[in-house]
Amino acid sequence: MQNTLLLTLLMPTLAVPIVYLLGKKSVKAAALLVALIAIADIALLLTTVPVVLDSAPAAEHKYVESYYWIPILGSSFTLFVDGVSLSIAIITLILILTATLFSMNYMHEKKGLAEYYALLTLLFIGLVGVFITSNLMLFYFCWELMLVPAYFIIGGWGYKEPYRAAFKFFIFTHAGAVFVLLGIGAIFMVTGDLDMFQAQTALMSAQPELVKWILLSLTAGFAVKMAIVPVHMWLPDAHSEAPAPMSALLSGVIISAGAYAILRVSLGTVFPAVAVMAIDFGNQFLHGLAVFGVMSAFFGTLIALVENDIKRIIAYSSIAHMGYVLFGLSLFPFQEIMSGTVLHPEVITGTVLHLVNHAVSKGLFFLSAGTIMKQLEIRDIREMGGLAGQMPITAISSMTAALSIAGIPPFACFISEFLIFVGAFQTINNDNFYLLPTALMLIATVLSLAYALRYVSHVFLGSGKLEKAKEAPFFMKLAMVVLMVLVIILGVWPTFFIQLISTVSFV
Amino acid sequence: MIEILDVSLPIISFVLFSLLTIPVVKAIRKAKTRKTLITLVWFATIFITVGITVANLATKYYEQASPQPFLNITLTSEPFTIFSSTFMIDAISIYMAIIFTVVGAIVFFYSMFYVDPSERLSERYYSVMLIITGCIIGAAFAGDLLTLFIFWEASAAGSSFLMLYKKTPESMHATLKYLVMIIIASAFIIYGLSIVYGITGTLNFWTVKNALMALEDKHLLVVAFIFIAVGYAIEAAVVPFHMWLPDAYTAAPASSSAFLSALIDQGSYYVLLRVLIYILTPPTVLGWTLMLAVLSALTMVVGNLLALTEKNVKRLIAYVCIADVGYNLVAITSVTPLGIMGNLYFFLIGGVTTALSFMTVGILNRMGFETLEDFSGVGRKAPLTSLALLLGAFSFAGIPPLAGFIAKYLVFTAAIEANLSWLAVVGVLASVIQAAYLVRLINYMFAKRLEEEAKIREPKKLLIPIFILVAAIIVLGIYPTIVLNLIEHVIQQLPFTP
Repeated sequence: MQNTLLLTLLMPTLAVPIVYLLGKKSVKAAALLVALIAIADIALLLTTVPVVLDSAPAAEHKYVESYYWIPILGSSFTLFVDGVSLSIAIITLILILTATLFSMNYMHEKKGLAEYYALLTLLFIGLVGVFITSNLMLFYFCWELMLVPAYFIIGGWGYKEPYRAAFKFFIFTHAGAVFVLLGIGAIFMVTGDLDMFQAQTALMSAQPELVKWILLSLTAGFAVKMAIVPVHMWLPDAHSEAPAPMSALLSGVIISAGAYAILRVSLGTVFPAVAVMAIDFGNQFLHGLAVFGVMSAFFGTLIALVENDIKRIIAYSSIAHMGYVLFGLSLFPFQEIMSGTVLHPEVITGTVLHLVNHAVSKGLFFLSAGTIMKQLEIRDIREMGGLAGQMPITAISSMTAALSIAGIPPFACFISEFLIFVGAFQTINNDNFYLLPTALMLIATVLSLAYALRYVSHVFLGSGKLEKAKEAPFFMKLAMVVLMVLVIILGVWPTFFIQLISTVSFV
Repeated sequence: MIEILDVSLPIISFVLFSLLTIPVVKAIRKAKTRKTLITLVWFATIFITVGITVANLATKYYEQASPQPFLNITLTSEPFTIFSSTFMIDAISIYMAIIFTVVGAIVFFYSMFYVDPSERLSERYYSVMLIITGCIIGAAFAGDLLTLFIFWEASAAGSSFLMLYKKTPESMHATLKYLVMIIIASAFIIYGLSIVYGITGTLNFWTVKNALMALEDKHLLVVAFIFIAVGYAIEAAVVPFHMWLPDAYTAAPASSSAFLSALIDQGSYYVLLRVLIYILTPPTVLGWTLMLAVLSALTMVVGNLLALTEKNVKRLIAYVCIADVGYNLVAITSVTPLGIMGNLYFFLIGGVTTALSFMTVGILNRMGFETLEDFSGVGRKAPLTSLALLLGAFSFAGIPPLAGFIAKYLVFTAAIEANLSWLAVVGVLASVIQAAYLVRLINYMFAKRLEEEAKIREPKKLLIPIFILVAAIIVLGIYPTIVLNLIEHVIQQLPFTP
């Protein structure tokens, strides 16, 4: 089919008003429609897999569609997928699907659900669009399109003071976004083209000073969305106040978008020019990423160890895991890539795989925590205990998620963390700066097991009996089981995604 | 070939129709049935007629084998040209005439329902509004500094009548303040113009420009420049001279505020752009870039900070207008094709968005909601109006896919291109402050829950023009190529080489 990707975006766009009107009549139908579109989108994206995996020697390993848009601003409506974007987009869609299914039971007694599902569909466009475009203008459109519906969903259907958290989320991420905008503007000014791949070569002939600033400005902006430590403040509030399906999307996909953007735009588009013109600065930049990554990992892990609020623990663990991802990205082996000795760096494959695995595991973690909160109506883990017997499926999925987050085999996150560490050890050979960060990351990993076990033992083990505890309703169970199965499959058979991701070369 | 008649026809028709409107509206008032419909038909006729004359001019201009950069058209022939009014047609003036006519029509449509035509004296209100629109278009077509001055002052001073429509003490006070400022400004401008005339012996844009390029002793020119720039800066409400704007826009009826922000305000930026870039061309004649950059940074920051502390929503929107001046100045300062493009796009989008916000706030004010506190829960009481205000606010804040985003993007990119990166950074930070208070407004509208959530009946007729503008900001945000293609002609005929 020729318009696969256009259709992927067009379906949710057209569905927004339909979902709203349908939701006025029957909320269930609206939710099912959203789920159906997510499934259709997954199917559409899967049709591009053969193109990406094409084993012919001259294969480009990407699938591109381009439409007329704003030629005067160097922008065409370019949609594209390659291994990296395809795998993250598929996971995004799976999370949207499960979040929607989960909402059918989780949200059913709330008011204004027609608006909720319409906003969710709007969010859907932004979330998918951000991963499947190579035009920076369109990318920014989708990037900000994630913001507005997320703001209203957190604010409208969250907990105690939701609009406060939503406000914080909006202002922080918007402040980050304007720096991304400056970077994009500067790229346009230098190259006259906003295509990520065109700009990559065109930037090579720009002034080195300017390119450095572009790199810093873009990365700082993306890091806010990724919730890297000095700019993480919005995340714990937003994640814990949001309704559970939204937390799953926030933590699974929205912050991953920040990491994806650093990989794709900062490292993919701008970094080669920096590496050519100012190699020292390039090295320092990567070292800086590693430092911030370690800081985030430690900070997130330590706070998760002492936090008592069920959702804030998971929120801080998200910060920690974005630290891992940033650390993985900082190992970007640009010298090998530029010289052509390594085409598909394993460590980047591992990092992208970690985004995928983290998204699924964290989605599952938030959904199961949401289930507990809904059934018990308490959030402090010290008041819980012994839930394993009363809510077996929730308990199993929670434990799966917790163990995966802690990096225990055979669950998903183990493989990708392992790949990142392998990459780190390889890099230490050439650059002994990484010795200390890698050691610290290993310690953080051990600590992450501690908070995961603390969570599990407080909530599910022990003798406490809570009156209200009973197993979740059907759709919530379904959503959790889907993700749980996925966590295990990704843990024992990650080949599909590894194959997809490792087709991507970064030059 | 474009004749003097083609150029003056839009202006003449506005003036004629404006005079005719007084008896016609009075006559309609006496009619027994279908008053609204007849009024509507009358005003539709006016704008369609003017629209046709503008379209006629535009087609004639673009029909030329190679559109001239500019066309000089004078009333008298050779030896007296110096004393005669000159009109100049280029891509910018045609673009401005188009947007003034279109946006003016929509604002007018709103005023027709906002200010009841059966009210006594309302016919004068409409009449003044029409004649001012004509004058602004005249200013857009002006080809010498004096013609520009006359048309522009006529519209700026004339708009005081629009503020004064409801003769409340506040509006009297605000109008007085406005008039004093305008008179000071015009005195400054006249003084500066007389110096320019003294130096160059002419006031025609292109002759003046060429004469100034060749000028050796620039002392007098600096004096003239300061007077002219300050004069027009007062009228555009650039920051140290901004005090009149919030008072005037708050005291005026909402339809007037919408009209002022969409036409007069944008017109004043246009005049600033025309005078600074086309006549006192910066890099070659006078280096005013830094001064203007500082002023624009000041305007953005002060405008947004004042809005941050403001409780009255209408006044808050007025402060947004001041911030918009700052964004426009960024683009003017940069003197790049991209900046001019951003300016021209901003003229349209800024006008549309502020007009839209004033219109919605006007409706909500009539329901008795004035301050942020009053706005609590308005989102549930008046959902459609609030939705429009919400989209307007997001467009101001520069959230894609709304049109305000493209405008801000162009402006800030232009600043980077002109090596004024610090200004771009100040600009985006100011823009974040802007997002903060606009989101706070949205917070009040949608977050605060109230006991009684009875819906209020929203005036459907007033919502029609509002939603036309909402559609405009969405469409122009997603597909700006429609307008950018028009602007492209302008970029090809800039008076300086980038």
